[in-house]
Formats: sequence, structure tokens, C-alpha cells
Amino acid sequence: MSLRPSNEDPNSDLINLFQADTRNLVVMLDPARWDDSPLRDALAAKYKVARMQLTRYNLLRGENGPRQVHDVAESLIDVIGKMAPEQKYTLVAGSTAATVALWLTLMAPEAVEALVLISPVAVLPMGNPVTARPEQLLAHLENVEGLLQLETDQTEALSALIGGGVHDSELEGRLEQVSCATLAIFGLSDRLISPEAPRVYREKIPNSNICLIYDAGHAIVADRPQALIDTVMDFIERRDAFVVGRQSSVINP
Amino acid sequence: MKASYLGAMGYSQRHTFPTTWPIPPAYHDPETSVRSYQEGMDECEFAEEMGFDWVSFSEHHYSGRIATAAPAVMAAAVAERCKRVRIAMLGQLLPLNNPVRCAEELGMLDNITNGRLIIGFLRGTPNEDQTYGVNPAEGRGRLFEGMDLILKALTEPQPFSWEGRYHQYRTVSVWPLPVQQPLPPVIVATRSDDTVRYAAEHQLGLGVSFVPPEQMAAVTGKYFQWCAEAGWQPEPDQVVYRGSIYLAETDKQADDWLAKRTGIGPVPGGIVMRPNVTRAVNASRAGEEFDLRNVLAGSPQGDVVGVARGLNFIGGPDRVVEQIKQFHDECGAGVVDLFFQQPSVDHREVMREIDLFGKEVLPRIREF
Repeated sequence: MSLRPSNEDPNSDLINLFQADTRNLVVMLDPARWDDSPLRDALAAKYKVARMQLTRYNLLRGENGPRQVHDVAESLIDVIGKMAPEQKYTLVAGSTAATVALWLTLMAPEAVEALVLISPVAVLPMGNPVTARPEQLLAHLENVEGLLQLETDQTEALSALIGGGVHDSELEGRLEQVSCATLAIFGLSDRLISPEAPRVYREKIPNSNICLIYDAGHAIVADRPQALIDTVMDFIERRDAFVVGRQSSVINP
Repeated sequence: MKASYLGAMGYSQRHTFPTTWPIPPAYHDPETSVRSYQEGMDECEFAEEMGFDWVSFSEHHYSGRIATAAPAVMAAAVAERCKRVRIAMLGQLLPLNNPVRCAEELGMLDNITNGRLIIGFLRGTPNEDQTYGVNPAEGRGRLFEGMDLILKALTEPQPFSWEGRYHQYRTVSVWPLPVQQPLPPVIVATRSDDTVRYAAEHQLGLGVSFVPPEQMAAVTGKYFQWCAEAGWQPEPDQVVYRGSIYLAETDKQADDWLAKRTGIGPVPGGIVMRPNVTRAVNASRAGEEFDLRNVLAGSPQGDVVGVARGLNFIGGPDRVVEQIKQFHDECGAGVVDLFFQQPSVDHREVMREIDLFGKEVLPRIREF
């Protein structure tokens, strides 16, 4: 299996495909480049992964200026539908892209069978725009090497478009309409999201779980990559049944 | 200043124990043990009657000297006898325990005491790393994660999963939450810089045990500075000193008692373990490898680990007031948590000391 993106898709400037021996599709949205993401690698080893590059200029700006989040979500629904007609998929999205993922899920509930939100900023952000500054993203600056390669200008453009530092009250009002199994993951030391935010997702999304990653900041993938991978993989495999323990505690059988 | 009575619940025949740890269960006599707990609870009740503000409990294992391995059990029993004092869990040993279980016990205690609970977090003495087979090298990490998890579990109104370094729980949903909102007072008992800083940054109290005032002052000096940097100032109740006490009618009586005490009990205070065990624990805590081939045989009596627990307050009322005042003036302590059950001091003697403390010392330390 190759982890190099294939270019067979006509929207390859937007999508990179990573094909494993499965038809189960995972769509990843993220404001960062996922080129070095250990989560992407882990998912691609098991699933067919479509990476959506949200920072593409033509996705964020239309002919008449910046587009609305709904428009971005609609474009993505269209692109994914052309790539995998009538196929259901698991949607994985981080930070500002999680806002797009939530809108996408609301607009195409028949397509999204599970949703994983990593450090979502849509609800109760701290009020600071999301930037690419490591001191803002990490619990421990020494983990900077694990930080995904953020394209500063585009990340901040995406943040500005989506409102990375602004509470999306319209979206919060519609969270109860998210019907698929949902996991919202937060770093316990996230400096961009209020500690109150996780409970809002749990309260409002009917079939949801929240997971707190200890000793991780906003960029969980840099601070605690294996914890993030294990949690996401387990949830995608077992959905809400991932709360059932299956790790053996036998020491000397 | 406030006073706290440490409910050690010591086994009354503890003076017969060997100096080493653990104390073999063979020393346990059921009748003596039952009586010891009853006497210990009587002492707590009398301390409340004499005006003490808190009664505290501390988790210690495999010994009858402080016989509260499950402090929440003891706190619950005493809370039914003592209806006014605050019940201070000072505290649970977080590296050893399931933090969710700790949070559940704390939530229950704050409910059954109707909001009188004070929470304390402890790492524990080196011997206690052996109790449940925890790797001493991981104690600090387990302490920090345990504190974060308990604080979250006691304040989070929705179920959550926890993905830690040492703990993984896919469903945490503690019931009941504390009566005191958002949290009961929390004391972090430590002298280590990183843990002191944690307490300051999280706006938690600080507890220091069994050291002379100049050592405590060095710790609290950093604590107050880091609290200021974090934008807050601790209340007097948030700085606690725990020390041992022997209170007599006069200084001479106390000094005479001390002179006779030499050689009795676990003096020089610390906890005595087999030499190689001591070295292995200390090496592990320091992040070093312990290699048996590189050490010489230790003393046959064993080595002392941990802080030597000397007597911090000894004398008649006047001298003891001055000694306590020193911790207030030099260290900023607002609460003194007192360990009366010294080796060779029996129940009757402890009751006499509580009475004297309540009449002659407590009214005076309240003035500062």
C-alpha cells in the first residue's frame, strides 16, 4: 500500500486519496497540511482515506470574495459525492475544519455515518483567532517538531472565514440535529477552547461522546499523537461501543 | 490561625512494633485494634469539643502507627460523630489509587458532611510506592495526572472519556458531585517545585509536613511568588503545616518526657526499610537504575527513607504557642495540623493534651 497520494481524481488539487485494502471511506478535513500526519498514516493503513485540503484558495474564496462556511461545506459534499457516489463515510476534522465538518454533516446527514471532531472551535472558543503559533497550539513547546506544517497565511485565512475565534451560535443551535455517532476530542490544556465547550457537544449532540486527552493542547496530534490515534481508530472501528473496555488485565495467565 | 487534629487512629500497642516497615499483621490483636479505633474517634470528637477547626486523615499503609489505609472510610465514620469541624482528607495517595474512585469518595464525603470536606493530594512516602506495586519512577507523573483527573471529574457535569498517560477511562461520570461549588478547598501537600507551581497555577492551597520553619518558609516563599504571578493571593486557610506535638503543663515536664523517650519507637522518625529496598526506591524516584551488584550490604537494622519526623512542637503552652507562631509569621501558615499520637503516648495522655491545647493554646493562636 502506498501512502503517496494518487492523482487519479479530477479534483486532485483539493483531494488526495490514500488507498488501503478496504472500501470503508474516511474523509479528513483539516486546516493544516496533513502530509506528515501520523493520524493520516494510521487511518490510511486501514481505510480508504480522502484528505480534503481546506486551505485551497479556490475553496475559500469565490468570485465575489470570501465564501460562507455553508458554501464550503456544500462544495465538499459535491466533490465527495463525485469521488465516491452514494458511499457513506466517516468524517474526521480538526480545529476550524470541524466547523465545516459539522455543517457538512447537517447538510448531508445521509452520507456521514460517523463524525470525529478533534479540537473543534465552533463552540465557546476563547475568543482569539486560530493562528499557527506553536505557543498557542501546544501544551509543550518541545513537541513543536510534531506540529503539522501549517501554512500560516492560509490557516489564518481559514480561521478568519470560519470564525476560529468566534462562537458559531447558529451551529450550536443545530447541534441536536447531528444524528450520527459523534466523538468530540479535546486536549485538556487547549488554550483556544473554553473548558466548558466539551459539555456543550455532549449535551446537544444526541449520540455523542467527548474525550479529554490529558497533557495535550490544541494540536493534540503533536502533543499526544499515539493517544489521539488510538482513540480515533477505536471509535471509527467500534463507534459508540468504544466505551466498552477490551484491554486485557491478565498478568500471568 | 486554625488548628487541625490529625486522626491517626494509631494502634494502642504501637510502641511494641519493630522499627522496620511494613509492620507484620501478626502484631494485630483484634480486641486491641477495635479499642484503638474507638479511642481514636473519641479523640477526634474531643478535639472538636475543645475547639479544633478541622479533623484530618491521611492515607498510610501496612502499619498501625497511622492506621488509616482507607482514609475515606475513617473520615466517614468520624464525620458522623463530629458535626461541626471540617473533615480534611490530607490526603489520598494519588500515585497508588484510581483517581476516579478517589473523586467518587470525595464527592460522597462532601455530601454526607454537607459541605465540610477539604481535599488534599499527596504523592506519599517512598515506602508506600511498594504498597500496590507502583513504579516509583512514575509516581510524580501519576500524581500530576491524578490531580488533573480528579479536579475534572469533580467539576464536569457531563460524562467524558479520559485518555491519560497512566489512566484510560472511556466513561467518567462521577456521582455525587460536591456540595461545595465549584470545588471544596483543595490542598496540595508537597515541597517539590513543580508541584508547588501546579498548586499556585491552579489556585489550590499548599500543605507542608514535618520540616523546620526555615525549610517551610523556603517553600511557601516560592508558592506565594508563583501565586502572585498567577494573579491571585491564597487565603490563610490555604497554607497548612502538619507537625508532631507533645504538649505538657510546663516546658520542664515536656523536656523530661522527651529525655525519657529517647530510644522509644520509630525514632529517628522516618520509615525504616531493608537497605536494598530503600536504595532501589530512591534510585527509581531519582530516575536512576538500581543495580544490586554495585551496592554494599546495608546496615542490618535497615535504612531510613523519607523525612525524619522529629517533634516540631514540644513544651508547655507558652513555648508551643511561640513555636506555632513561628510557622505563621515566617511561613504564612494559616492552619496547623497536629499529630498528637507520638510513640509511647497513650490515649489518656492524648486526651489530656487535647484538653490543654484547647484551653491554653488554641485561644491564643486564634489571635494571629
